[in-house]
Formats: sequence, structure tokens, C-alpha cells
Amino acid sequence: MQGDFFQLLKEQGYQFGVPAAAGSEVDIPNATTILAFKYRDGVLVAGDRRATAGNTVMYDRTDKVLEIDRHSVMAIAGVPATAYEMARILEHSFKYYRRTQLQELSFEGKLRALSKLLKENVAAALAGTGAVAPIFAGYDLEQGAAKTYFYDILGAEFEGVEYAVSGSGSPTIRGILHYLNTWGEQPLSEMQEEQAAIQALRLLTSAAEFDSATGGVNREANLYPVIKFITASGVRTMPDTQLKPLFEMKVARHV
Amino acid sequence: MYEEPYKWVEAVGNRRQYLDEQFKQGSPVVAVAYETGILLLTVSKGTPKLYEIYDRLALGGMGHPADLEKLRFSLLEMAHVEGFNRSPSDVTGGRMVKYGIAPVIKQAFEEVFKAPFIVKILLAELGQKAGKDAFLTINYDGTFEEGTHCAVLAASPAVEQEMVTYLRQPPTEGWSLEQAIGAAVRAWAVGDRAQRRMSEDVRENQESKADPTRARDEKNDAAALYSHLRETVAEKTIECALLDRQQGGFSKYRALTSDELGRLLPRDMKASLT
Repeated sequence: MQGDFFQLLKEQGYQFGVPAAAGSEVDIPNATTILAFKYRDGVLVAGDRRATAGNTVMYDRTDKVLEIDRHSVMAIAGVPATAYEMARILEHSFKYYRRTQLQELSFEGKLRALSKLLKENVAAALAGTGAVAPIFAGYDLEQGAAKTYFYDILGAEFEGVEYAVSGSGSPTIRGILHYLNTWGEQPLSEMQEEQAAIQALRLLTSAAEFDSATGGVNREANLYPVIKFITASGVRTMPDTQLKPLFEMKVARHV
Repeated sequence: MYEEPYKWVEAVGNRRQYLDEQFKQGSPVVAVAYETGILLLTVSKGTPKLYEIYDRLALGGMGHPADLEKLRFSLLEMAHVEGFNRSPSDVTGGRMVKYGIAPVIKQAFEEVFKAPFIVKILLAELGQKAGKDAFLTINYDGTFEEGTHCAVLAASPAVEQEMVTYLRQPPTEGWSLEQAIGAAVRAWAVGDRAQRRMSEDVRENQESKADPTRARDEKNDAAALYSHLRETVAEKTIECALLDRQQGGFSKYRALTSDELGRLLPRDMKASLT
């Protein structure tokens, strides 16, 4: 069938998901916290910005929430090299499909594309050099609904009806999300944009509290998590100029 | 039969004649820069003739739909593989044309035992800044030309020249989208009218009643062009696409919906179309 970019790449000799030699003991950067939940207008996706390798902090300005096209976002947890490569393949696959077939790839088709990449990557994931467990979130224009999905490293896809989390810091916030959504003042899906952003900042700050591999907010360095909103009108990133006052007023504890 | 060189030259000459004939009924394509991007416009009967190729590349075509489709796919393949392996900013119109499809079209044209591509192609590339846009056209024999500000496709070089002259009459820089659409639709009419005139002249020549002065009487004023459009566009659709620098995201291509086009077309013409 025409319009398959990944197939085209393979025909051109491109290899993906080839495992490195097993048993090599390298510290590969892989810990993180990413989350997505549905709010009133769509879906919010957020991620911290730390990349670690073993005990070392590799980088503190990683962007783990990647815009794949106008209406979908992939948040990555796991080995960054593989994850970024996957994001690049997906981005080009969706563009290529739209331009060749003269119609947008369906949301389900997009989910399958990511699942397929993860499956191709199983060998590398099990060898320990390429495990990725991403979140895929977006706005399904056909159904007029926001959607969130999370994947395991083998490529199984699960729908997060209200929210989805991944990464080493995720066990901490999974409980909080459940509590918030069930007994909070209002369920997540009724929150307005600003309220949703405040909760996302608080959640990531909590994750950083208990997970050394998740980076928190560093106000001195003007370093804030990445928060993106996906609505019917597309993907939008919350600028630092908005995150900063929100953090100061609603998240930082004033003693 | 074509082993002798002069026979080959003759065969290529025949092929030129055959191809020229194929484009006579075609609909011209106009591409012109405006304030924040590039506008492409044509009038089509059913099959679309304007396409998105890459983040900043758009295609306009004349000729056989199946041939156009084949070349469109090879452009898409090339652009996306290159954009993935290197970077999107390495996917430039110049490279796509010079090393990509122009040689393919030329080869098909000169292989006289095989069918040539019945296509003329226009590739518009949105520059990072205004004034940096590129316009490339490829003829059915693989020759290409590169221009700035505007480019057109039409049945013959003479008609193309007439359209470009019309487009350039007022300075084309800094046009609003509305102005650009007005100019493009009139330039299309200039081209379409010239093509019709061309085929009529041929017919009259055959009947040996040629009157060389008649054609020159036609005026390129707006009213005359709108009245030509009124007669020709009625059962077809005006197709219009933009590469707009102001559009968010990486992909800058957008097809105008019929509603938008309805709002943006010159008022004098709308009255005549409804």
C-alpha cells in the first residue's frame, strides 16, 4: 500500500531497532516523569526536563514532550536516542501519508504506527539499549475528542481514559492523579486550562521530590517543565512567562 | 528505424509537436508571491492540479493526471527521505528539480521508443524571509527555469511570457493576499484567452483566412478579463493554495476553502460568477 514512509525508509536500507552487543555495561540515560490528562478543552501533556545516566545528571533542559503534528504529541520516557528517532520517523510518516494520500492519517492509524515502531524495537529494548515507553496524546478530529494512550516497551497500547503516566517518577503521581480525579474538588476532565496547568506543575514537583531521576523546577535557572495543550485548534506550548507566575503563586510553598 | 542520428532528431522533433498539441486545452497555473507567502492558483475540472510536496514546497501541474501523479510521488519520496536523513531545511526546490525530476523527465522525453511524460511542473518554495522565495518550472523536455516573485505554466512559451508580463505590470512586491488573488485570477484569464486565440488562429490559418491584426485588438483590462472568466469558469472550480509564512507549525501549505476563496476573489468577478 502506498503512503507508508517507514516501509519506504526500509526499502532504502534504513535499519531501526538493531540491538547493541548484549552485556555491555553502559549507563544509558532513561529516567523521567511524563504525564497526560484530559481537561475541559482537550488534553494536557507535560514532562520534566532532566536526562540521567545512572547517577549522573546528563542534561537539565531536555524536551520530552514532542509535537508530532498539528494535533498530536508524543511524550517520551526511556532511551532518548531511540525515542527521538521514533518521533522523527512518526513525524515524517504522518506528513508523508497526508501528502501522498491527500487525507489525514486517522488517529487509530497514528497509534498503530507508534505501536509498530515499538515492536520493531523489541530486540533493542530487551538488550537494554533502546527501551522506550512513550505516551501518545492528541485530538481526534473525526470524533471530536481528546485521547491519551500509553505504551509498554514491547509495543502494547493502552488507553488512558482519564490520564496516562510513564517514566521512573510515574508511580508517585499515579496515585495522586487517582486521588485528585476521584475525590478532588472537580474531576480532571472539568478543569480549565489554568487549573490543569497548576495540577501538572504540582504533580511534576511531587515526582521530583521522590524520584532522583526527575528534575523539578529550578527557579534560579529559570527552568520549568514543558507543558503542552492539544485542543481542536491544535497543539500549543505554555510559555515560561506564564509558567513562572503560575508556579510562584500556586505551586511554590510560601512560608 | 531510429538508428541514424538524423532520424532520432526528427523523432524528437515530432515528439515536441505531439506534446505541444497535448497542452493546448490545458489550464494555466499561476504562482505569485504576496506579503506573507506564495499563492498558487489554477482552474480545474475535477482532478486537482495543486499539491503539497514538503514543509515549504508546493507543486502546480499541467498535463496528464497519471503522469503528474507519478512525478508527484517521486518528488514526495525524495523530499521526505531527504528531510528525514538530513534535515527539512536541506529539502530545497532547486535540489528536487535539478537532481531529482528534471533528469527523469528529460530522459523520458528523449527515449523515443517509450512514452514521454505529458507534464509541465511548477515548484514554489517558500523562503525563510520575504523575497527569498524560489519559483521553478520544468518543461516536458526537462528544461527548467528559476525565477523570483512569480512563475506560470501555460501551453506555450509565448503565452507564459504574456502572463508573466501581465503579472509584472504593477510591482508585485508587498501585495496583500486579496490583491495577489485578484492578479493571479486575471493572469490566468490572460493565459487562457491567449491559448484559445492560439488554437483559433491555427484553425483559421488552415482555412487560409488568417487575420494577424485581430488578436492584437484584445485588451488586458480587468473588465474584459472578468468577462472572459465569466464565460470559462462557470462549470469548473478555481483552485487556490498557499504557502504562508505566518502559519504555525512546520508545514506551511494550506489549500483555500471555497468559502475563503469566495471572500477573497475580486468583487467585480464574484458578481459575474453568481
